[in-house]
Amino acid sequence: MPVGNLKDVAAVCGVGHTAYGRKMNRSQIDLAGEAIRNALDDAGLGRDDLDGLIVSFGTPIGADADTLAYALGLKLRAYNQTWAHGRFTASSLQWAAMMVGAGLANVVACMASISFSGFRKPMMGGSGDAEGAREAGGGHGEDPVFGMTSPGAGAALVARKYFDRFGATSEQLAAVAVAFRKHAALNPNAVMQTPISVEDHQNSRFVCEPLHLLDYCLINDGAACVLVTTQERARDMAKRPVCISGMQGLPAGRQEFIWTYPGFGTSQQTAFDYIPGPQLVYEMADVSPRDVDALFTYDAFSILAWTALERFGFCGQGEAAAFTQDGRIELGGELPMNTNGGLMSEGHIMGWNHQVEIVRQLRAECGERQIPNAQRIQWANAYGDSLIYSAG
Amino acid sequence: MAEYTKPLPAISTLNQPYWDGLKQRQMVLPCCAACEAVWYPPTPFCPDCWSRDFRWQAVSGRGVVNSWVVFHQAYFSSFKDDLPYSVAEVELEEGPRLLTNLVEVANEDITRGMPVEVVFDDVTDEVTLAKFRPRKG
Repeated sequence: MPVGNLKDVAAVCGVGHTAYGRKMNRSQIDLAGEAIRNALDDAGLGRDDLDGLIVSFGTPIGADADTLAYALGLKLRAYNQTWAHGRFTASSLQWAAMMVGAGLANVVACMASISFSGFRKPMMGGSGDAEGAREAGGGHGEDPVFGMTSPGAGAALVARKYFDRFGATSEQLAAVAVAFRKHAALNPNAVMQTPISVEDHQNSRFVCEPLHLLDYCLINDGAACVLVTTQERARDMAKRPVCISGMQGLPAGRQEFIWTYPGFGTSQQTAFDYIPGPQLVYEMADVSPRDVDALFTYDAFSILAWTALERFGFCGQGEAAAFTQDGRIELGGELPMNTNGGLMSEGHIMGWNHQVEIVRQLRAECGERQIPNAQRIQWANAYGDSLIYSAG
Repeated sequence: MAEYTKPLPAISTLNQPYWDGLKQRQMVLPCCAACEAVWYPPTPFCPDCWSRDFRWQAVSGRGVVNSWVVFHQAYFSSFKDDLPYSVAEVELEEGPRLLTNLVEVANEDITRGMPVEVVFDDVTDEVTLAKFRPRKG
């Protein structure tokens, strides 16, 4: 184990969010303020107890950390912000764990406030695809010169290769969308609650083929906030702590492509058969994939559930298509995934809504969609980062 | 020539020789003088051995389709008339992969592993794009 092992040092002491919806016509600062206040209420804390802030998705779709401190009258000792992508949920929580562990702050709010409707311009594709024109290209394989734009196009490139390489089908991928919608139907705050069938999925229009509309996440408004403190402090607060027991960072380099695992052979990745090696998140938490009661993942596109499952060894390479059938990833199944409904059906709060749900599952607050006796839940993503949370 | 309204590449000191090469009907890529690695997109360090000593080397312009997608949604109004249009990831014989549009092939006839070769499309007086078409075996 590394020096300064952070197993169970940090804990979540409060979670909060707003209503999620389309075209809510609310200010980003207002959304953020409500989520932070609800999280503080949940923890039994007041505004002045908050001295750290990490925002994982700021301008132009969300409110920036410095603006929030100013507008909400926060007194921060330390803050930080990632750039405008959803992939930084675990990174933000890891930094928060390190901040409280090192004494840089006592209570850190980690969050995103999102108002796609408030921005009113394309952000992730078309004329808003500024990253596609970066030196050396876009972060999801964008190359606008050839009309290759939007994060979903990179996911479609992975899906096509997956289908061909492993003999999988779009009908099988539908199981992911169907499962998450089934979960959302039990979640009063979900933007999309009407159940869907495999047939609905197949009949939905192609956006970037082979991905259908129902392979895509939602575009919506809302905010969610997770408060991180030390486990020791959390024990004196209003709710049972949820400990951060294991973590591993967000990898990058030429062997990585954001929507899949090394060896897959997309972008400049070397192609080889992927077998998961030792992963820090399991070593730190001292568990294996078999020991987690549920898996949550960043489901911007349905295919990411498959690549995440294989990356973390829940099944072998090429096996996720079969693994996700027959209710295995649904509530009551062997490995429930995204019981909130995910980005695809609850709403796109950049993964922060998933963290809220994980914490509530581990506190047994989820009512109809409660996983019985949930003790340990993993957040693990196609792009390789992860957290393991434990009931405190 | 009708006005070209699609996005144009960001030509910089990093990639100017690549675009100059295409204009002259040749695909050139950076090749490391120390370890012979060839890479794309053009960047100033060899990603394998980190040497900064590289030359621009002509490559075959031949490769295979590694994966592809078909756009059904017009993110760019300038691509609207092309819908549904394909974008392919081509793996060159030399190893690097690049994104491109395929020509002279219907969307439904594209297959993974399909052999392709470069064709040069002068889209403006200044810019030539590398597109690909099927080739025999």
